[in-house]
Amino acid sequence: MHIPDAFIPIPQAAVYWIIALIFIALSLRWARNEMRDEKVPLVAVLAAGIFAIQAINIPIPWGTSGHMMGAALAAIVLGSPFAAVFVLTLVLIVQGVLFGDGGITVMGANILNMGVIGGFVGYYSYRGICMGIKNPYPAAFIAGWLSLFVAALITAVEMAIAGTFPLEIGLVTMGLYHAVIGVIEGGITAVALYLIFTARPDLLSETKGVSS
Amino acid sequence: MEGKNYLIFGVILALVIAVAAPFLASGNPDGLESAFFGIFGAKEIQGEELDEHAAGQAEEEVQGITGNTFSFESPFPDYTLEGLAKSGEALAIVLGTLIVLGVAFGLGRLFSRSE
Repeated sequence: MHIPDAFIPIPQAAVYWIIALIFIALSLRWARNEMRDEKVPLVAVLAAGIFAIQAINIPIPWGTSGHMMGAALAAIVLGSPFAAVFVLTLVLIVQGVLFGDGGITVMGANILNMGVIGGFVGYYSYRGICMGIKNPYPAAFIAGWLSLFVAALITAVEMAIAGTFPLEIGLVTMGLYHAVIGVIEGGITAVALYLIFTARPDLLSETKGVSS
Repeated sequence: MEGKNYLIFGVILALVIAVAAPFLASGNPDGLESAFFGIFGAKEIQGEELDEHAAGQAEEEVQGITGNTFSFESPFPDYTLEGLAKSGEALAIVLGTLIVLGVAFGLGRLFSRSE
């Protein structure tokens, strides 16, 4: 879902950068207030794992592929949507600057879509679903799916504002592809969460403790 | 897994994924690119075939629409190292993974709450 430079006019890209910078500042404030020293190695390993898994494009039908985004996972494990903003911003900067994956002028839009939208939709849908069903793994699957699907629809709206895609065909096409890619997102989010909570049951009780 | 062992396991898992990625990854356009090629007539939205010529034209056409012609030469475009094929890609992704690990750790320490 990495938007390249050519897809958004620079003035609009600047607006997305401003919105992204506000959320980056809020994520740094979250780190100052909520991220304890002993959490830092976990944050770093999660960021590295998300970078690596984003490099695996899994084929889906219609000559298309998709990869994990990881925002829902980061937000759920670390207990805040701002954690996803923090992690995804770092991943997107390294991808864009070193590997040309995602544009530079449009990096704010990519941080907004994948870090902010992905993180907030993933985190709050997980919390909400956990109130209904007590098992965290189906909740994580649905939250992962939704985080990617909603981020894709928002991207389609941005493409429409940019004049790049007509709104309706953009929403339908992005929705179609990402409804399938979302299954990858949801599946890996649930499996990764299971591995992490098995190794660190205290993190599970922390995320539950907040919600009750 | 006790103590810090799970973190070491996590780093190893990330590196294994990084090495395997170029051999597993599909070369098909991703969801956004595929939607773009579909909408710009370089492929059918539900088709498999990409018309490479039309795809190139679409990339020029969209620059005309948005006026954003910004271009930037990244040191390792598309996760490649010059002169190396798949092994170079694996190396590039390993390098990226380690950089993200280091930067996240450094910035994390800088901004974390110490008690």
